[in-house]
Amino acid sequence: MFGLKQSPWVIHYDASSCNGCDIETLACLTPGFDVERLGVLNTGDPKHADIFLVTGAANEQSHAVIRNIYDQMPEPKVVVAIGACACTGGIFRECYNISGGVDTVIPVDVFVPGCAARPEAIIDGVVQALAALMDRRKAMKALGKNVDQVLYSRAESADAARILSLQKTAHQQEGTIYGEEHVPGLVQTLPALEVELTQRVFIKATVNGRLVGVARGYAQDRTGFISDVIVHPYFHRCGVGRRLLEELEKALPDMNRFEASIGDKCVESAAWLQRQGYELYKTDSWRPAIARVYFQKERK
Amino acid sequence: MVYLLAAPLVGGLLVGWDRRISARMQSRQGPPIFQPFYDVFKLCKKENIVVRRSQNYYVALFLVFVIFTGGLFFAGSDLLLVIFALTLAAIFLVLGAYKASSPFSFIGAERELIQMMAYEPMVLLTAIGMYMVTKSFQVGDIAGYHGVPLVFLLPGIFLGFLYTLEIKFRKSPFDLSSSHHAHQELVRGLTTEFSGRTLAMIEIAHWYELVFLLGWVYLFFASMPILGVAVSLLVFVLVIFVDNVFARLKWQAAIRSAWAVAAVLGFGNILILSLLR
Amino acid sequence: MMMTLIPLLILVPLVAGLAMLLIRNDHVRRVIVTILVLAIGAASVLLVVAPDAISFTITAVSDHSINLAMNLTEAAMAIFVLYVGVHSRRPLIAVLMAVQAGLMAWFEYGSGSHPEVSQNLLPATDHFSVIMALINGIVGGGICLYALGYMKEYHEVAHTDVTDRRPTFFALLFVFVGAMFGLVFSNNLTWLFFFWEITTLCSYLLIGYTRTEESRRNAQRALMMNLLGGVAFAAAIVYLSRNACPLDLQGLIDSAKSGGSSKALVLLPAALLCFAGITKSAQLPFSSWLLGAMVAPTPVSALLHSSTMVKAGVYLVLRMAPVITETKVGMLVALVGAVTFLVGSLAAITAADAKRVLAWSTVANLGLIVLCGGIGTYAAVWAGVLLIIFHAVAKCLLFLCVGLVEHKIHSRNIDAMSGLIVRMPAVAVMMLIGMAGMFLAPFGMLISKYAVLMAVVDAAPVLSVFIVFGSSATLFFWVKWMGKLVEVVGTPERVRNEFTLGEGLAVGVLSMATFLACLLFPMISSHMIVPYVTGVFGEHAASLTQGNIIIMMIMMAMVMLFPLSFIRYGRGPQSRGRLPERRQRRRQGSIPRFGRQGRKHDDEQLLHARVAQ
Repeated sequence: MFGLKQSPWVIHYDASSCNGCDIETLACLTPGFDVERLGVLNTGDPKHADIFLVTGAANEQSHAVIRNIYDQMPEPKVVVAIGACACTGGIFRECYNISGGVDTVIPVDVFVPGCAARPEAIIDGVVQALAALMDRRKAMKALGKNVDQVLYSRAESADAARILSLQKTAHQQEGTIYGEEHVPGLVQTLPALEVELTQRVFIKATVNGRLVGVARGYAQDRTGFISDVIVHPYFHRCGVGRRLLEELEKALPDMNRFEASIGDKCVESAAWLQRQGYELYKTDSWRPAIARVYFQKERK
Repeated sequence: MVYLLAAPLVGGLLVGWDRRISARMQSRQGPPIFQPFYDVFKLCKKENIVVRRSQNYYVALFLVFVIFTGGLFFAGSDLLLVIFALTLAAIFLVLGAYKASSPFSFIGAERELIQMMAYEPMVLLTAIGMYMVTKSFQVGDIAGYHGVPLVFLLPGIFLGFLYTLEIKFRKSPFDLSSSHHAHQELVRGLTTEFSGRTLAMIEIAHWYELVFLLGWVYLFFASMPILGVAVSLLVFVLVIFVDNVFARLKWQAAIRSAWAVAAVLGFGNILILSLLR
Repeated sequence: MMMTLIPLLILVPLVAGLAMLLIRNDHVRRVIVTILVLAIGAASVLLVVAPDAISFTITAVSDHSINLAMNLTEAAMAIFVLYVGVHSRRPLIAVLMAVQAGLMAWFEYGSGSHPEVSQNLLPATDHFSVIMALINGIVGGGICLYALGYMKEYHEVAHTDVTDRRPTFFALLFVFVGAMFGLVFSNNLTWLFFFWEITTLCSYLLIGYTRTEESRRNAQRALMMNLLGGVAFAAAIVYLSRNACPLDLQGLIDSAKSGGSSKALVLLPAALLCFAGITKSAQLPFSSWLLGAMVAPTPVSALLHSSTMVKAGVYLVLRMAPVITETKVGMLVALVGAVTFLVGSLAAITAADAKRVLAWSTVANLGLIVLCGGIGTYAAVWAGVLLIIFHAVAKCLLFLCVGLVEHKIHSRNIDAMSGLIVRMPAVAVMMLIGMAGMFLAPFGMLISKYAVLMAVVDAAPVLSVFIVFGSSATLFFWVKWMGKLVEVVGTPERVRNEFTLGEGLAVGVLSMATFLACLLFPMISSHMIVPYVTGVFGEHAASLTQGNIIIMMIMMAMVMLFPLSFIRYGRGPQSRGRLPERRQRRRQGSIPRFGRQGRKHDDEQLLHARVAQ
C-alpha cells in the first residue's frame, strides 16, 4: 500500500455550509497546521482527488453536484463529511429543502462532528479516511483480479441456501434500523425462499463460484417490481449492484416501468437507486411506524 | 542509459526538494522529500477515468518523446533536433488535452500552446547562440568546448533562457495551462481530464524534462564542470524563489514578456556576437 | 525539331486544354481528363526513370516558327489584358501591360540583333527542373482528377448560383499545367517569360471564375501585381540583350560564376528577375493578391496558389541564387523572405477561415524559400529545393481536404471543423498527415526548416531571428487546428460519402506522396537535390549529417505509432464490425473493469457515469 497512504489529495465542496467548516478546512492548509506534511494536496479537480471533503447539509440544489463530483472521482475514493450539517443535516435537518446529511446522497466513510469542526478534528478525519481508502483499495484489488469472472445468471433452486445466507448478511444494517422482525429478508425461511425462487426472477452474481450478489423481481401489469438487490458488503461500490439491476431489468422484458420500494430510513439505498435513474414518486406507511418510499423508472 | 534510469530519480528528488523549499519560504514544514514518488505510486494505483479512450495514448507518446529528447541530449546529439523532439512531445500533450474534450482542458491546451509559442524563440536562440560560439550544434561538442564558459559570451541568452525555465518548470507566474494555483478558474487546465496512471505519466515526464533542462543550464558552464553543477542547482532554487515571489501573470503578459526577453536579450546577444565575429 | 519527352509534356496539355473547351459532356470529359492525367503522371515519372524514352524529329517545325507563334500568342494576350484594363477601368493594368508589351516589342524588333540562344529547353538531366516537373505532373494531375468530382458538386450542390463554365475551367487547368512544364524547362529567358505570362493570365481567369464582384476585383488585383513582376522580367530581358549578355538561364549563371565584370553586369537583371519572382510568390508587400485569390474554387487554390504557380516565383529566385549570393541584392531578397515568413506566420494565427490560414502559411513558407534563395549558399539552396517539394505536396493535400470538408459541412471556418475525426475520419486523418508534413518534427517541412536554420545561422545569423519567431507562430496555429480536428464534443454524426472516387484518389495519392517524401527524403536528396546543387556550386558539402538523418528516421518510426490511436478509436461504440459478445457488452458499459483499462466518462453522462473499458 506504499504511496496510497502518503499522498491523499483532497477535493473540497461546500454543499450548503455556513462557511464555518470551510474556513476550518482551509485552515488545515495554512502554515499553522500544514497538512502538506502528510502529503495532502488540495486539488480542484475531482479526477485527481482521493478524498472528498463535504461541508454543509445536502440541499436540493447540491444533490446533483455532490453526486457529480463523487462519480467523477476515480476509485479508490472515500468521502469525509465535515461538521454537524454534513453528518446529519444539523440544525437544518428538518428544512423543506434539506434531505439530511451528505450520506443521503453518496456513501460517507468518515463523519467529522463539530460546529464548526476543528482543524485537528478534520485532520484526524482525513487520517481515518486513509484507513478507509486502504480498505477500498483492498476490495478493488480483490475484485479487480476477478471482476472479469463475475458471472451474471439466473439463480436456481439449488442456490437457495447460499442466497439466504447472503441476504442475512446484506440486510444487517436494515435490521438494526427497523428491528430484525420487520425486515422480510431477515425473517424469510429456506422453504419460503425456495418457493419464491420458482415464482420470481432471480439474477445472481458469482465470483469464482462464490455468490456475491442477488437481484430479484417480478412482473405485474407491465410493471417490473424490483424486490431487492443485495451485494455482499465486501463488493459494495464496485458496480456489481448496478449490473445486477440492469440484468434484472433485461430479464423482465416488455415492461413500461419499473418500481422499487425501500424503507424510508435506508438513505444509502435510496441514493443508490437515484443514481441508477430511479425517481421517488410516493411514500406510504407499510406497517405501523414503518414508512416505505417508492421509486420508479420509465423504460426508455 | 544512465539518464534513462537516473533522471526520474533525480528529477523526483528535485521536485520533492522544490516542494520543501517552497513550503519553507511560506514558513510551512512541507512534505517529505520523497513526496513526489508517493504521489506517483498512488496515482498508479488509482482508477483511470477517461473521456475519450485515445487521450491516454497521446500522453504516453508525450512521455516517450520527452524521454527520447533527454536521451538525445545526453547522448550528445544535435541541439536543434533535441528542441524539435521536445516540441513534438509538448504537441502530443496538447493534442491529448484537446482530445479530452472538456472546456477546461481546451483552455489549458490553448494556454499551453501560447506558452510554447512564448518560449520557443528563446530556446532556439539559445541553441543558435551556442552554435555561434562553439561552431557546432552537437551537444557533445558544446559540452567539450574548451574556452571561457559560454555564459560569459552569452550573458543575454543565459538570462533569457532562465526566463523560459520559469515556464518550462511550470512555475506559478507562467503556469497558466495546468494551473497549480488557480483551481476555480480552469480547474487543472491541461491535466483536468487525466487521472491515475496517465497523470503519473505526465508527472514522470516532468521529472525527465527537469533534469534535461538543468543539463542544458550546465552547458553554459561546460568548461568548468563543478561550477556548472553548482550553478544548475542554484538556478533551480532561483526559479523556485521567483515562483514564490511573484503571484500570477496573465497569458497576454506571458507571451509579450517572453518575446520581449527573447528579442532584447537573445537577439541582442546574437547581434553583438555576429558583429564581434 | 527534336521531339523528346519534354516538348511533349509541354505541348500535350496545352493542346488538350484547348480541346477541353469543346467538350460539353460530363462523361466524355471525365474519361479524357482521367486518361490525360494518367499520361501526364506517367510521363513525369518517366522523365526521372528514362528521359530519352521517346524521341523523334519533326522537321516541319523550326525554332523560328515556334518563336513566331509565341510572339503572336503574346501579342494576343497583351491585347486581351489591355482590354481588361480598359474595360474594368483599371488604368494601372493597362499601363503596366503597355509598358511590358512595349519593352518586349522593342526587344524583339527594335533593338536590332540580340544574342542567340542555342538551347531553348533545359535537358532532362537538370534535376531541379525535373523535380519541379514531377511536382507539376503528379500534384497537377491529381488536382485535375479531384476537380472533376469537386466542380460537379460545386455547381450542382454548393454554388448553384454560379454559372457552370466547366469546359473553360478544365481548359484553363490543362493550359496552365502545360505552361508550368514549359516554365520549368525553359532555358531561353524569352521562352520562360512567355510561359510566365501564360500562368499569370490563367491565374487571372481562374480567380475570376465565379464572376462575382469580389472575385473580379481580386482577379484584377492579382493580375496587376503579377504584371508588375512581368514588367521587371521584361526589363531584365531588355537589359541583358542591350548589354550582349547571354539570354539563357545557364549562360546567366555561368557568367556570374566567371566573376569579374560579367558578374556585376548580370546582377541587375538577376535582381529584376528576383523581383518578378517575389511578386509571383506573393512576398511582402505583394502578398495581398494571394489572399484574394482564395475566392477561386479550391482546386485552383491548390494548384495555382499553393503548389505550382507561386512556386514558379521561388523557382526563379532559387535559380538566381548563385548569381545573387553574397551580394547586397541577395541580402535584400533574403530580408524580404525572412520578413514575409514572420509576418505570414503571425497573420495565419489571426485567420479563422481555413483557406486563409493555408494562404498565409503558403506566403510564409514561400518566404522561407525566398530567404534560402537570397542567402544562396550550398546548404541554403539545398534546403530551399527540399522545402519546395515538401510544401507542394503537403499544402496541396491540405487545400484539397479543406475543399472536401467545405462541401460537406458548409463552412471553411476552423472552429466548425471540431470533431472532424468522427464526422469525416478519412479526410481528417489525411489532413492530419498533411499538417504533420507541414510542421511536425521528423516530417518534411521541419527537416527543411531545420536545414534552413542551419544555413542561415552560418550565413546571416541575424536573419535567424525571423525564422525563430516565425516558426513558433506556425507551431501555434497548426497545433490549434490539429486540436480542433481531434477534439470530440458530444456525439457528432458521421458524414456519408466523404468524397467521390476521383477526389479520394487525388487526396490518397497526395497523402502517400507526403508520407513517402518524408520517408524517402534521404534518397530524394542524394539522387535529385544534391546533384543539382553540386552542379551549380561545383562542390559538395554535407547539409545534414548521417547521424541526424538516422535520428530523424527513428523519430519518424515513433510517430508512425501515432495512427494506432485512430485504429483504437475507430473501434469505439460507433464501430460497425462485429465484436465478441463479451467485449461488446463491456463497451456498452455493462461489465465493470478497474485498473489498467480505465473507466470512460461521457460528458453528457456524468451523472450516470458508466463503468467501461
